[in-house]
Amino acid sequence: MDTVTRRKFLKLTSGAVAVGAAAPLLSIDQIAQAAIDRPLPANTPILVVITLYGGNDGLNTVVPYTDPIYYSSRPEISYSADKVLPLDAELALNPAMKGLKALWDQKKVAIVRGVGYPNPDHSHFSSMAKWQTASPAKHINTGWLGRWVDSQSSDPMLAISLGSVLPPMLAGAKRSGSALPLGGLVIPKGTLATQCAQLSKPSNKDSKLMAAAATSMRNLFSVSTNVQPVLKAPAPVSPDLPTTNGGNAGGDSNLAQQLDVVAKLIAAGSPTKVWSVSLGGFDTHANEANAQAELLGVVSDSLSRFMGQLKATTRSNDVTIMVYSEFGRRVVGNGSQGTDHGTSGPMFLIGNSVKGGFYGEQPSLKNLYKNDLAVTTDFRDVYATVIEKVLKSPVEPTLGKWSGRINFL
Amino acid sequence: MRVYSHRMDAQRLEISRLFHRFGFGPRPGEYAQALADGVSTTRTRLLTVPASDAGAATVVEPEITDLGPRPKPNTKEIVPFAIAQRYQTQQMVVWWLDRMAASDHGLTEKMTWFWHGHWATSVQKLNYAMPMFVQNKTLRTYCLGNFASMTKAMLNDGALQFWLDGQDNTVKAPNENLGRELMELFTLGVGRYTEDDVKNISRSLTGYQVVRSSGAVTINQNRRDKNPVNLLGTTAVFTGDSLADFLVARDDSAQFIAERLWYRFISSTEDMPANFSAKSAFKSREISAAVGAMASDSAMRDEKYAMVKSPVEWFISACRALELTPSALKTPAQMINYLEKLGQVPFSPPNVGGWPAGEAWLSSASAQYRIAFATWLIKQSDLRVLNSMTPAQRLTRSADWLGVAEWSARTKTALRDAQKDPAQFALLALCSPEYIVSA
Repeated sequence: MDTVTRRKFLKLTSGAVAVGAAAPLLSIDQIAQAAIDRPLPANTPILVVITLYGGNDGLNTVVPYTDPIYYSSRPEISYSADKVLPLDAELALNPAMKGLKALWDQKKVAIVRGVGYPNPDHSHFSSMAKWQTASPAKHINTGWLGRWVDSQSSDPMLAISLGSVLPPMLAGAKRSGSALPLGGLVIPKGTLATQCAQLSKPSNKDSKLMAAAATSMRNLFSVSTNVQPVLKAPAPVSPDLPTTNGGNAGGDSNLAQQLDVVAKLIAAGSPTKVWSVSLGGFDTHANEANAQAELLGVVSDSLSRFMGQLKATTRSNDVTIMVYSEFGRRVVGNGSQGTDHGTSGPMFLIGNSVKGGFYGEQPSLKNLYKNDLAVTTDFRDVYATVIEKVLKSPVEPTLGKWSGRINFL
Repeated sequence: MRVYSHRMDAQRLEISRLFHRFGFGPRPGEYAQALADGVSTTRTRLLTVPASDAGAATVVEPEITDLGPRPKPNTKEIVPFAIAQRYQTQQMVVWWLDRMAASDHGLTEKMTWFWHGHWATSVQKLNYAMPMFVQNKTLRTYCLGNFASMTKAMLNDGALQFWLDGQDNTVKAPNENLGRELMELFTLGVGRYTEDDVKNISRSLTGYQVVRSSGAVTINQNRRDKNPVNLLGTTAVFTGDSLADFLVARDDSAQFIAERLWYRFISSTEDMPANFSAKSAFKSREISAAVGAMASDSAMRDEKYAMVKSPVEWFISACRALELTPSALKTPAQMINYLEKLGQVPFSPPNVGGWPAGEAWLSSASAQYRIAFATWLIKQSDLRVLNSMTPAQRLTRSADWLGVAEWSARTKTALRDAQKDPAQFALLALCSPEYIVSA
């Protein structure tokens, strides 16, 4: 597979993980309007989830730079000790992650090591479904944050995913998070608008899909004028943030764009507690070093830019960012300067309220399980902590009885 | 389950599905004629591949050549190379869209399209048109043939091998990309093998080498792992051919291909019933048998199995109704740009799993692009059919023109409002829920 993007994944899982309630598609105007009418109360914690599609190579993200087995396992794609950004005597960040390293130095980054789930699945699509449904053993139709949405009072602004297709993570049984397509929509005007409005009315003869087609057109019409100031305002800019775009010429900057929109809407007071954004392309079977470094540079630069933007708002202490991917990659390189699908990988939690440092055990390179890294932390430990500490909600409705927690907040 | 306020005319529904799902929609007059002929005659006609197709024969094959190795950056050779590369790819995309729009008999194009989404390979990684063009011919050759033969041909397909890093899979350093997808996405389906099977099948697939610019495949015996492997409980030394036979012969393969046909032709939202007739018909592994059974299955008459037309399907059916030729549109690049906005350009599937289906095509963003695209198309059509009708006839006959089973009262109201303006009428009809979705 060349690149795995969120879009592709969503396509493949659209049959497997049905979105329970039809996902509302929001316009940015509606969100801005809601921010004006009923802003999120001050000091309400906000979760931002960043999904890295394709299986990010954890060993070249958080590099065991003093372990000889790391170098002997993947001679062609290992990073030499003088290039990496050391975090302690054993682990270092990928050289492209200077922005994240700066946040680490400020004690704002928790790295949870060896995260995965029992009986790792090496299929992108199955593994991502397990992460997003938080049900590794059994296939279910709802996502973990979708179930959380179900447990809250109904509000289409509560959980928002950037992009036109909703990830399964936000699909609930009764309700779902909403999708916010990037880029403004051009709304038909005049006679055409009237006729399109007629054409998109519900009909009692509509099948489910025809009703969805009608709804998609209907959603084009919901504009209000008093939100223009919010929308036209530039994304907040931090006074002390150096522009760090130099490092990724040619890279995909879409993550930064998504986070710009999120920063803008958080600053405006959008009544949203969960945001979901994503970056694809981590499926580095071949010629990995450059491709992954470029992507990690995008992640790192986007994160430091986003954190800087939040500084200019009143909500910088309220935001917690969680970064994950569906699996790590094989320890041993595959001979194509790349790596095949693996198992566990690191997760990042970033925020002013996060207790920076390492959590979970670093999987041994010596004692592999079927040539793969061991899973030392279940992702549900992280989710449960986030549900309790960030979303201030009981864990059981979302994850069932789950006792594991990690003390990063 | 949904309770319908009334039942759709069964014959109109089934014939509409035959046209839109087993082809790219009717040309003007074809649906009305088919209603007169009846379901059975129409089905037989649409499923019987004629010896020659005069419509498709009018489409001139593009000249796709081996452009050779890519020149070094910053040389004077790189510019003409890059132009040729882009030009050939665009010619190839337009050529296929023209064939879809011009064919008198749509099934061959539709099945080639289905298999393109199944063995989904993207020119974006290959960066050469020729291997993709060769693959398209292979898919065309086997699209209604024997599935084991198709699988063998695809293992020898340079574009597929390169796309899934097959040329990097060697005895010294196995690469599992092709091996895994061969089982998961091409022949068996996810979960119908173990991780050990993935490792072992990948060993059996070592040694392929690909000339990227032409798609030529050779096997390098020095790079092959010739040891026996245990695959799905059988220990053997597999070649590409014996591997294809072995996988395709499994019961899981019939189940999987039936599931994929169901998902793309009958319903992407409802589960396949255990007794779906395509599965037993696929016993022979003859694709035409499975397709024939599927076209006669009772599901074809069940209102609950609606399908959203993918962007290419919607666009081509509009071209056929509006009597437009994709390559003659001004400009083809603009046309491709619209398809890109809608998320579907031939030869560029998003990933090895192919394109999505169903509600994924129904975002507000796509509603907007569809309106813009349809407006652009309608400007380039003489709207012969609508102009030959009185305003009142437009309302009563437009469903037959487009092969729509039935307009809802909602849509009729909108169409009535525009019946004096053929362009506006066409726009609303093409963007209506009844046209976007095959009922």
